[in-house]
Amino acid sequence: MNVTLYKQMMKVYMKSFMNYAFGSAFYIILMFWLYPSIANNTKAIDELVASMPEGVGKAFGLNGFGSAEAFISGEYYGLILVLILAIVCVQLSTQLMAKLVDQGSMAYLLSTPTTRGKVAFTQASVLTTGLFLIMAVTSIAGFAGNAWFLGDQYEFDTSRFIQMNMAAFLLFFALGGICFLVSALSNDEKKALSISGMITFGFFSLDLLGKISEKIEWMKYISIFTLYKPGDIVNGHGNWVVTSISLSLIGLASFSLAIVLFRKRDLPL
Amino acid sequence: MLTVEHLTKTFSNGKGIFDVSFAVKEGEVFGFLGPNGAGKSTMIRHIMGFMKPDKGYVKINGLDTWKEQGKVQTYVGYLPGEISFFDGMTGKTFLDFMANMQGMKDLGKRTSLIDRLQFDIHTPIRKMSKGMKQKVGIVATFMHDPAVIILDEPTSGLDPLMQKVFIEIVLEEKYRGKTFLMSSHSFPEIERTCDRAAIIKDGVIIAVKDIHELQSMQRKLFEVTFEHPTDVLSFLDSGLLIESHEGNRVRVAVQGNYDKFVEETAKYKIRNIDIFTQNLEDIFMNYYDREGTIS
Repeated sequence: MNVTLYKQMMKVYMKSFMNYAFGSAFYIILMFWLYPSIANNTKAIDELVASMPEGVGKAFGLNGFGSAEAFISGEYYGLILVLILAIVCVQLSTQLMAKLVDQGSMAYLLSTPTTRGKVAFTQASVLTTGLFLIMAVTSIAGFAGNAWFLGDQYEFDTSRFIQMNMAAFLLFFALGGICFLVSALSNDEKKALSISGMITFGFFSLDLLGKISEKIEWMKYISIFTLYKPGDIVNGHGNWVVTSISLSLIGLASFSLAIVLFRKRDLPL
Repeated sequence: MLTVEHLTKTFSNGKGIFDVSFAVKEGEVFGFLGPNGAGKSTMIRHIMGFMKPDKGYVKINGLDTWKEQGKVQTYVGYLPGEISFFDGMTGKTFLDFMANMQGMKDLGKRTSLIDRLQFDIHTPIRKMSKGMKQKVGIVATFMHDPAVIILDEPTSGLDPLMQKVFIEIVLEEKYRGKTFLMSSHSFPEIERTCDRAAIIKDGVIIAVKDIHELQSMQRKLFEVTFEHPTDVLSFLDSGLLIESHEGNRVRVAVQGNYDKFVEETAKYKIRNIDIFTQNLEDIFMNYYDREGTIS
């Protein structure tokens, strides 16, 4: 870890982290604000969902509207948050490694008394910090929204909400690791961006398709999104501990591999 | 101070550098001279430890530049051939950042360099001209007072006045005992600063020569315009190497035999003499022809 580099990178990227974090916080608060009016019509909406083809409801994690966290898990953690953080992972991982090699500014970093391992580790930490900040702000906004709009009148399970946020963070830790690996091995910024974009949205679509139809259910098991089921967490189904450990391991393995391979490869600087 | 031993790297397209060995002594300025694509940058990438050699090694101050990353750089200042910095930085924030990365305490040298190169450090880097970026790069290279300085095409983008200032800085550092390695495709740049230079072609060093020797090997083209067209004919028989002639203009190739050239031209009334700037292959044409076939 190189503290100078870490501080500099945080300074450069703090603004965009905060933009994403506040965007996400705003959206989740909006969801909490909406919830009371929906909760009063739960029955009608549940009927509406039931009238849709079964696969669609499952694919988008529509999860019943009985409790606030079930509503949020379906409406926010199932889709919008995933999209926001997927974009952050793809863009940021590319900028932190491949862009510096492509532009040549990596030459300046490596001409100072630091090692490649340290540079890569620092950049990985910046990415992880960014994802953590966005998730932390989102969680805090969730609690604020709950206190503000729901109070004691509606059901809200705090510990499951926290679990869901941790699961989301770990999913993007894993995905960020994979994107970072791609970025660390690329000399070309555009190539890194399109490869990690393809991987990310490929995973996302496989998961979605696998959920829609049971015939092609196998598809979703190729995707790491399978390990993230906000709906199951809020309903208390599934094995939260196992999926979290798996995601952490995928993330750690990818980041480590990225650092090891970056140390050994030729850089066209 | 800097040793390159049997350095070999073959790329998938068959290009690369092949069995390169040389050594630079402490306090010496060593030049890499070669046309674009000859392998100068590849060599510098190996010297900086950006690439892993297939065979051989580079050592600076006894430390292997590939294996001992993180230690070697303490002694090294590096000016990349293409300058690119991080987004959203001004000259000052970049230099501050680099000073922190180097763990520098004393900013005196940096201040005096900025004064000499005369530029505004508060300009955002993306708004800087190529020459101005080059100046920022030069300050970053020298400010931590490294013992070995690696320069890749250092004066590209600088105006003639600043080229002169830059050469002064190099010579001063040289007298302070610093070791230099610089690459260039321009002979005049090397001529003014280097003690020795290596000529590179197709990834092979075809000669390492004293700079005076290189000067005598250098071929220059003069275009002489005669007052009287009739003089041209007798001039053609003078035994000088005539490249071409047209009307009362004659192109003469001179390599070392300046005396003879002056003697012969002095016999006639001359209206004008031009010297042609040539590319490196032309300057050392004979040399490339003779030795280039080895590779």
